Amino acid sequence: MGGDKTKIILSITPPLLIIILLFYGGIFYGLVQSLGYQPAIGKYEINLDAYYNILFSERYAKLFWTGLALNLWVSFVSTFLAAVLALFAALAIRKTFFGKTVCNFIYSLNLPMPHLVVAVGIIFVFSQSGLLARMLAQLNIIASPGDFPVLVKDKYGVGIILAYIWKESAFFFIILMSVLQSLGENFEELAQSLGANRWQRFRYVILPLVMPSLFSASIIVFAFSFGAYEVPALLGVIYPQMLPVMAFEFFLNPDLNARSEGMALSIIIALIVMILVIFYFWLTQTRIRKD
Amino acid sequence: MNKIKIFICYLIVLTFAKFSFAEVAPGFNSWDDVLGKAKGGEVNVYMWGGSDAINGFVDDFYGVPLKNDYGITLNRVPLKGTVDAVNQVLSEKEAGVTGDGGNIDLIWINGENFWTLKQANLLYGPFAAGLPNSEFVAWDNPAVNLDFGRPVDGMESPWSSAQFHFMYDSARSNYDDMPRSYAELSDWISANPGRFTYIRPGKGGFVGTRFVKQIFFELSGGQAQWVGPFNQGLYDQWAPKVWELLNSWEKDLWRGGETYPKDNAEMHSLFANGEVDLDFTQSPRGAGPTNTAGTTPPTSRAFAFYENMIGDFNYWAIPYNAPNKAAALVYANLVLEPELQAAQVQPANGFCCGWGISTAKVTDAAGQAAIADAQNNLGDAAEDQNILAKALVSDIAAEYQDLIEADWEANVLLK
Repeated sequence: MGGDKTKIILSITPPLLIIILLFYGGIFYGLVQSLGYQPAIGKYEINLDAYYNILFSERYAKLFWTGLALNLWVSFVSTFLAAVLALFAALAIRKTFFGKTVCNFIYSLNLPMPHLVVAVGIIFVFSQSGLLARMLAQLNIIASPGDFPVLVKDKYGVGIILAYIWKESAFFFIILMSVLQSLGENFEELAQSLGANRWQRFRYVILPLVMPSLFSASIIVFAFSFGAYEVPALLGVIYPQMLPVMAFEFFLNPDLNARSEGMALSIIIALIVMILVIFYFWLTQTRIRKD
Repeated sequence: MNKIKIFICYLIVLTFAKFSFAEVAPGFNSWDDVLGKAKGGEVNVYMWGGSDAINGFVDDFYGVPLKNDYGITLNRVPLKGTVDAVNQVLSEKEAGVTGDGGNIDLIWINGENFWTLKQANLLYGPFAAGLPNSEFVAWDNPAVNLDFGRPVDGMESPWSSAQFHFMYDSARSNYDDMPRSYAELSDWISANPGRFTYIRPGKGGFVGTRFVKQIFFELSGGQAQWVGPFNQGLYDQWAPKVWELLNSWEKDLWRGGETYPKDNAEMHSLFANGEVDLDFTQSPRGAGPTNTAGTTPPTSRAFAFYENMIGDFNYWAIPYNAPNKAAALVYANLVLEPELQAAQVQPANGFCCGWGISTAKVTDAAGQAAIADAQNNLGDAAEDQNILAKALVSDIAAEYQDLIEADWEANVLLK
């Protein structure tokens, strides 16, 4: 028994050290800076000025609240649509042989693609000087490429949402396929023999079975898209601006005093994601139990 | 009587002290001392690495003579942005790396990045006036001794210069139709709706800030009154008129002014894609460097307003913990050699920037010939150098920069 214990302690120490040092260490350091403690420029006082500035000052409040609204909108819409698309795709093709192989292959290809590449792809295809706009102009469907609707760098974040759907639906799809495969068809056949129609089989058999994994995948995708920088940096506008981009701009500001605001904003983002994830957990736990 | 004796003693001691402790730079008694300590070492040069032309220029024109004439190995470290080097020095400071224990010997720097390091006491110096070639530098020119309006104080030494002006595509527009003032630009914008935008004034978009700053100069009747310390009253008097003008453009701007490009790269791509007809350049060679790089169409040309075109210098700075300060000094001195300065202006060498020295201060024949040859080869992608020289004004106190960026956001973007 004692030997087992040492073994466990030995094997979990390296990952724990990394998590504690790098992750919590980084967060702690950020937290301290967000409170105004910056010895490099002779600031030793601890205060909440940076948080106040971000949330309420005339200079930043409007940027912050519009940014937060955009963040919530983009994350909710892209997570929801990607999940729904993947669910229907998975249900539609899981029983076909050829379709399944092809779709699995296409979606798996999508998975290792960096978000950065997807974002650039979106620019190439959907921007006003992009492939689609030029093609439609060539075909005389629109008069000039400039008449193409603004889908990239637009204030509603359509381009960002498109990029996330493109990327994350593959993630959902692969998780759903493995769940559906492990379930087999017994449940459905049983329901069918008891007289359940297609809709009833979907609503009362399949959905409750895939819901737990769909929800946990949604949490991952939501938290990721809420805090990710590169896609909104490439596809976003300068106002309203998503919060991670705003935080990074504070960080890059050569005026070191602005660093506290950048860190405060990052801590706020982390807090919001944490609260939403806890809320989401609570919601799914109670909902799933009821079903 | 005694007092006079003491005074004389004092004078003698003072004179003697001045002679014996005369330093060319902190820690070095003479230039020979610098050369001796630099020999056989390596110099780590941290610089923005986004241009193959500039990288190649540094390797060929500085790396070779450093090796052959001074026995110094050049180690050029490319950066995505200068701020990366600033953050590294800052981290080294926080980690307690002092003396010559750092990694960076030189940073290609100016403006706010310089101010960040200077503000945090992270620079070595003053050293610039001690370099033998500093005799070619126009230290009495405010565009040189002030960096974005903040005193250089010998903590950085110039490399090259830049001046704001514009580009157009000669395949799309005519040189003669180009606006030559902000008043004419206003008319041009309403005559060409959707064909103009400017870089958002803000971090990473200082060229846009500069574009807006020049409007202050034109509306207020000239740049002269803006030189000197920050003047809130003057700013408050003209700012509303500037925002009014910018807002009056909005409906005729690209995308109706709903968004703006945030840096040079975005602006160039809008111009190259044919979404807008005017672009900004900072190079005395006009559209030359971007045409060569392929970021603007090869038919692009330059033009300047007749007044109020801000010019500035960029510099080399040495971090407080540079591992080889002697070699850094040799490098900073080398780049000011008149013939190497002429080489960086010579278009065939692909460098994008202008003079770091005052060419009038060069007296030897070889230097003068190289300078004249470079001036004559600027080519048709550049604006007439006389127009640029006449329009040249220096940048102003840095406080205006932050204020303009914040107020532009509040009064134009968010209004």
